Amino acid sequence: MSAFALEDADRAACVPCLRRSWLLGELSALLDCNCREDGRLYELLALPDGNLLKALGGRRRAELETRHRGFVGTELERSPGVAELCRHDARFPCALRRPGVPPMLHVAGGLERLRDLVEPPVVAILGSARSTDYGIEMGASLARGLAASGVTVASGLGDAVAAASLRGALEASGKGLAVISGGLDVAAPVKRRGLLERLRGVGCAVGELPCGVRARRWGVAASLRLLAAIADVTVVVEATDSPRELAGARLAQSFGKAVAAVPGRLTSSASRGSHSLLLEGARLIRGAGDVLELLCELDRSAPGAVTPRPLELAPRLRGVLERVGDGADTAGKLIGGTGGADEVLSALSELELMGLLRRGDGGRYVPAQPLPAPGVRYRSSSQMEP
Amino acid sequence: MLARAHTFTIEGLHARHVTVEVDVRRGLPAFTIVGLADAAVREARERVRSAILNCGYEFPAQRITANLAPGDVPKAGAALDLALACAVLAASAQLTPERLGSHVLFGELSLDGQVRAGRGTLAVAQAARRAGFDALVLAGARAREAKLVDGLQVSVVEGLTSAVRVLAGGRADSLPAQLPCAASAHAAPGPDLSEVRGQHHAVRALVIAAAGGHNCLLSGPPGTGKTMLAQRLGSILPPLSRTEAIEVARIHGIAGATAGSLAAKRPLRAPHHSITAAGLIGGAGRGWVGEAVLAHNGVLFLDELSEFSRPTLEALRQPLEEGRVSIVRAQHSAIYPARFMLVAATNPCPCGYAGAGERCNCSEADLARHRRRLSGPLLDRIDLLAHLDHHEAHDLRAPALTSSGKAREQVASARRRQARRLRCDGVALNAQMDARAIARHIHLGEDSEVMLQRARERGLLSARGQHRVLRVARTIADLDGSANVRTEDLGAALALRGDAALAGARAA
Repeated sequence: MSAFALEDADRAACVPCLRRSWLLGELSALLDCNCREDGRLYELLALPDGNLLKALGGRRRAELETRHRGFVGTELERSPGVAELCRHDARFPCALRRPGVPPMLHVAGGLERLRDLVEPPVVAILGSARSTDYGIEMGASLARGLAASGVTVASGLGDAVAAASLRGALEASGKGLAVISGGLDVAAPVKRRGLLERLRGVGCAVGELPCGVRARRWGVAASLRLLAAIADVTVVVEATDSPRELAGARLAQSFGKAVAAVPGRLTSSASRGSHSLLLEGARLIRGAGDVLELLCELDRSAPGAVTPRPLELAPRLRGVLERVGDGADTAGKLIGGTGGADEVLSALSELELMGLLRRGDGGRYVPAQPLPAPGVRYRSSSQMEP
Repeated sequence: MLARAHTFTIEGLHARHVTVEVDVRRGLPAFTIVGLADAAVREARERVRSAILNCGYEFPAQRITANLAPGDVPKAGAALDLALACAVLAASAQLTPERLGSHVLFGELSLDGQVRAGRGTLAVAQAARRAGFDALVLAGARAREAKLVDGLQVSVVEGLTSAVRVLAGGRADSLPAQLPCAASAHAAPGPDLSEVRGQHHAVRALVIAAAGGHNCLLSGPPGTGKTMLAQRLGSILPPLSRTEAIEVARIHGIAGATAGSLAAKRPLRAPHHSITAAGLIGGAGRGWVGEAVLAHNGVLFLDELSEFSRPTLEALRQPLEEGRVSIVRAQHSAIYPARFMLVAATNPCPCGYAGAGERCNCSEADLARHRRRLSGPLLDRIDLLAHLDHHEAHDLRAPALTSSGKAREQVASARRRQARRLRCDGVALNAQMDARAIARHIHLGEDSEVMLQRARERGLLSARGQHRVLRVARTIADLDGSANVRTEDLGAALALRGDAALAGARAA
């Protein structure tokens, strides 16, 4: 008996993946209440089903657990023209097969077309919730240029820059891929319904939540994972300097993808985030040509250029890091019976400053993706020895 | 005829001089007390009358008016009885009044003429010395407190008869046999650090806190030994110096907590979490001192920190910052010393088991609420945070790493080093260093500077947080006997800092 729930052309997803998507839909409102902070959200979304239910279920926990156990696949609301695709299917995009990215997609526009669109090169265009006319214009012209050169433009529908980019891409060649933050049938704002319809006709729209689930705030942050993973280059057109606005760029950095930014007026707060990205070393984009050039460079130097250089760690730091990875994740467990408290604490601090460890709840340390460090280069004291 | 006697009344933590003027005139028999006397003082009329009669003196059947000067200072407590009775006797010519002017009389009378000790004897003795009196007449029970003040002749009296004898130039009664009083003697051995198994880094944090006077928060699941550790803090702190001990004895004497002894042990106050803000810092009534003031020169231990009400915890901000409490109410205002070490314990989440695997069943909303209660300016004043884990089986079998005796020596030598360095700054401990002292005494190497800058850039450290980390790093260096703050010291201080992890702030 096949693991797939229904043997039909539009359903290329197995029951566990469908169940995950269903669960996220059920917990959508709760996720919204609890995730004022993106870091927290990504941590929660990385939890397996059982723990997620435990963390968020609250009063509905018992009911949801019963339904979760009895899930067969038919519970999911479906809408004509929306296909389901999970990573256990061969057609699932390779770029999305990495931890921290949703395991299944709802696709409007057809699986075949999705496969064509996610063929590299793909460029994601990110805007700001407080976009200006300048940003909208830059997004649209960039997207037109890129789509005309055969590059797929991926973006959301949530803000004006993103919507303008998708419009631009559709005008040029139809190579537009929308990442939707709610159910594909209800998610788009009324004024962008038309755009979504055209995308379904020519391009493609994907989302992680099942049909019928309203778009909520957390969905925007969650959809950035898909955008950052699917794109070879992430271009920030406009962003204020709040962590929320820069979340997409940070995710792309942590996935080892190239990040680029369009400069704005120095006095405009809507461009402050893009400017700080530029300062940290993001590529400056003046037009579609610059993006194409960056894509070429990446192609020449792939794949080594974008993977972070393995860190050279002093043996004592490496030892501590490995033990944290092995489960001795609190200062108490690390110090254990040896009594060398200061050395261990000092090593933990150094690792935290390098971005290799992060503090979690209850004094636990969590291994983290090292990010390219802004500002001064940091070397630990032991690395300085000749 | 008119007679004057001198006594003192307690106001807050201070004793105010009171002159008792008694006038006995012909008229209908009456006994009136004027001069802002409270209920206890007004009741003195009955006690004084009975005591005088029961000691065989005569109570004048005339119009007696007693005035308590100055008239605008409220007088409280029953310890004005002795002065009143002696003034009445002098005004009715049963006592020669020459010595009344130079003696301070302080004590409460019983109906049969016995003298009882009043609260705040030490404060009275100090104030009497300052006001220029050279003799103090009081009951035996607290006389040793008064004898701590140099240059004051303390006459112990058992009853009103002895007081009259002393005022007539006679001999005082002898001190009651042995009272518990020894500045250096150690009491029965209390809890010891060698009884703690495992939790090495929490022990280390506690030793650092004790050495530098830093505030410390212990966080961990139930049953991991937070309270046990905090109770052993007293055993590693150095004993009180004489000046400190006198300060402590004065405060506790006024609160009525000690029985006339000079303690060597630092006070440890551990109020229950249902305490109110007024109970914690004082100000509930006139002269009421709170737990924070009683913990002066000692330790204030708040168990289950997240259960305390928000206003209560907020009230701690001023004493933590300035080492004193200033209370202003409609009728009175007072400034009390409150330089204590704050040690708090809390669970990491409402159910208590966060970080202990599958056992925690708190929802995200619960955790957020818990963090909100703890976050805020109070956490900003806590220098050290130690997370305790559940014990592994081998931890319980392993021998203890240190004992209170060893730790106490480490702490004492670190404190000596601090005192030597900070003698020009007017403070004794690293935790009390201000920005200027930090700039003067803490010189970082190049690596350490880079480390600090890095922490700032990662958003792990605020400007105030940086000062706190530097103070802790200085203490760690002092504990290891190092002249300079090394990179390892700074690293350990950074790992023990508390704000970011609890306030839920995460690096982007």
